[in-house]
Amino acid sequence: MVNQSSVVRRRSSDSVVGRWSLVVGQILLALSVCFLSEAAWAQGKTLVLKGGKLLTISHGTIENGVLVISAGKIAAIGAANSVQVPKDAEVIDVTGMTVYPGLIDSESYLGLTEISAEGSTNDLIETSDEIMPHMHVYDAFHAESELIPVARLNGVTNAIVAPQSQDTLPGQDSFIQLDGKSANDMLLVRDIAMPLNFTGEQRRNESWEKRKFPQTRMGLAAQLRQAFIDAQDYSERWSDYEKKKSEAPAKSDDKKSPPSPPKHDLKLEALLPYLQGKRPIVLAAQEPSDLETAVGLAGQFKLKFVLNHISHSQSVLDYVAGLKVPVIVGPIYEDPKNYERYDAVYKLPGELYKRGVKIAFASYDAHAVRNLPYAAGYATGFGLPHDEALKAITLNPAEIWGVADQLGSLDVGKTANVVVANGDPLDVKTDVKRVFIDGREVPMKSRQTELRDRYSR
Amino acid sequence: MSRVNTLFSFAVVGLASLQAWAQQPAASPSRNEVLIKNAVVMTVTHGNIQNGTVYIKDGKIAAVGNDVSAPAGATVIDAGGKYLTPGIIDSHSHIALDDDVNEATSPVTPQMMMMDAFDYQDKAIYRGLAGGVTTSLLLHGSANMIGGQAIVIKHKYGASRDAMLFPGAPRSIKFASGENPKRVYGGKDQLPSTRMGNFAVQRAALVEAQDYMREWDDYDAKVKRGDKDAKPPKRDLKLEALADVLRGKLMVQIHCYRADELLTEMALAKEFGYKVRAFHHALEAYKVADELAAQGVAIATFSDWWGYKQEAWDAIPWNAVISMRKGVRVAIKSDSEDFARRLNQEAAKSMRYGGASEEEALKMITINPAWIIGVEDRVGSIDVGKDADLVLWDGYPLSSFGVPNKVLIDGDVYFDRSLPGFGMPRYKEGE
Repeated sequence: MVNQSSVVRRRSSDSVVGRWSLVVGQILLALSVCFLSEAAWAQGKTLVLKGGKLLTISHGTIENGVLVISAGKIAAIGAANSVQVPKDAEVIDVTGMTVYPGLIDSESYLGLTEISAEGSTNDLIETSDEIMPHMHVYDAFHAESELIPVARLNGVTNAIVAPQSQDTLPGQDSFIQLDGKSANDMLLVRDIAMPLNFTGEQRRNESWEKRKFPQTRMGLAAQLRQAFIDAQDYSERWSDYEKKKSEAPAKSDDKKSPPSPPKHDLKLEALLPYLQGKRPIVLAAQEPSDLETAVGLAGQFKLKFVLNHISHSQSVLDYVAGLKVPVIVGPIYEDPKNYERYDAVYKLPGELYKRGVKIAFASYDAHAVRNLPYAAGYATGFGLPHDEALKAITLNPAEIWGVADQLGSLDVGKTANVVVANGDPLDVKTDVKRVFIDGREVPMKSRQTELRDRYSR
Repeated sequence: MSRVNTLFSFAVVGLASLQAWAQQPAASPSRNEVLIKNAVVMTVTHGNIQNGTVYIKDGKIAAVGNDVSAPAGATVIDAGGKYLTPGIIDSHSHIALDDDVNEATSPVTPQMMMMDAFDYQDKAIYRGLAGGVTTSLLLHGSANMIGGQAIVIKHKYGASRDAMLFPGAPRSIKFASGENPKRVYGGKDQLPSTRMGNFAVQRAALVEAQDYMREWDDYDAKVKRGDKDAKPPKRDLKLEALADVLRGKLMVQIHCYRADELLTEMALAKEFGYKVRAFHHALEAYKVADELAAQGVAIATFSDWWGYKQEAWDAIPWNAVISMRKGVRVAIKSDSEDFARRLNQEAAKSMRYGGASEEEALKMITINPAWIIGVEDRVGSIDVGKDADLVLWDGYPLSSFGVPNKVLIDGDVYFDRSLPGFGMPRYKEGE
């Protein structure tokens, strides 16, 4: 697909809008191909999970339920007596187990790092410039990372992969599934969204000696505005060109030379789908002042956005609710500020939920993706209802990322990303027993289980 | 003991008594008696008591059981069926040091006293308290092969500096090995930059301490013989501290990851005649658990943190339980302000990864870290005579959902979730 888009990019005769709709179209095509291509690697056999407690997320809990998986999809679901078990199906008894949809991590760095302190294993962020929207995590995504099996063994089946946050515009996110025979299989949606980070961390002010532009938040904001204005101008230049070209006489004997196309600029081109509102910006801020500056910026350029973090914005939660956008909340283990009560950040998910805000949890990590459900569980000790916590790592993120037609709940027709565990998905004590991704049972093995088995003899 | 030896000892005692002074409690005021009733008392040492009562007098646990009645005048806390555990003990912390964790200018700095950097107003003490932590071991960092001397604190946020020190806690010193000293000094093109360099530095320091002790022994012998010209060697704080290591007066807490280095550190201890109290991090302990168990060395480890550096690459979340099953005393520690706030959740992971029992999991954050710190006869379980450091929980503590409701230290409520503001009855902002 990368090559296809570059092919498209080189076809300068297309209008900017036309070119982009073509690209978007190809993305959608590729996406549907990804979602439909499991037959290539899946077993043909129909599987039946029988006797478990099904947490459907979308339509309640089914005790002693039956779930039928066929051709990578959930083919049927219901109470034991209401579902016909196909004759040739392989029946797996999951009596006493809890069955729930695969968990979705709304920000991870999976596939971009192996060992944090070893630079050669990291592809997390380009810090050479703050405006890097043309960085695509799919170009670095390492499908064979040892971290991925570790995460999926705890029931995480899908994740946003984002670049790290030291740039205001660090690049574009991809949405992955945590199993597949190659990166192509695992990268379900490329460039699904673009982070815009405005937390102060992006300032180039590590020391007075090493200071450079943008040293301040004023610098960061000015630079962002200029980037979006440049992208708007870029778009207009292409429109003008297209217009002139279409007005140019068709006859080749005309003496007038045809209009020449503007020079390509990958950086500005990368911003266009976001300026056109076709894909969401993930707007990260922590404190109210940064939040309002960032939201103002998004408003100025009519960017469609979801919020990220807002860990220290307790005082403006009604304002947040008024924005009517989802919030990727956390990490809830973020330390409170010294002026905040110990549970200020722990309470945030519950407080947002109370105000009607759709929330999703994220690990904001690579090695600790497996702990995603425990963060959600911890929030239940601070006012978030249990079912909402579970929703915030299943159906809510599926809706936020536009994949709810395929993922996030146990419903007929959805991709069979299914987890079988011996208890509450949100509890640290719960042991995940089986994981199905795309209808395939994933071996419960990782580098870590191999070490365990070798040394526990 | 000869006069000279006494002199030397005095010098050492001088340091020791300084530390002892530092660890003395402020005179405790007489206290009201407290009775916590209607709790599920998780004693750690003798099972759970349903509908149990704990009677506290003068800051100590005076009675535990089903048939404990309230003496007239005792403050009664009705637990309403909540779980009551001992206060959590964190055997590896760097909070309240205002970033003065590493004197990273020399790989051997045993004369560093963490007491000198103790920032008793650090809000991290409060946040740990609100997570149920009542005692922490504040250690020097891991930049140096031989770091500084630790302090043991109680999380009495709002109390005076001296009142926060754990009275009479034994002295510990921090050693480190592996990547950190390598990186810190190798990065400056200094020794050590390899593991060979690391252990050479450690061995050289210990040999120097032996020589120092011998010099004093020789001087002592001369004085004993009546040699009036005998001159005492120059006192050296660094070597005096190391001499205390060799004399077994400082408990040795070693930051160490890899299995081979765990073995090397144990061999070095044997060679120089000191004991390793615990290996910290010890993420590969599961590979050499039999050897650790044979030497009686404990580990203070993470539940499941891994992959942050090369020597954490073979970390597995089953480390705690595999090591425990092979006879190693295991503690789960924080080494971070973040983890310190939810060590109960971290300990509960051992129930999932390897199937530790509830009591085994709870031991990893109570009596086992108490042993590592050397205060296991004082705290770490709900037993008569121990300090009344207790946590009353909302929800089941060994789960994702357990949250401290009240935390008592020495019988006083230092944290109460139901209170507004910071939830600290003994602290007011701005004081």
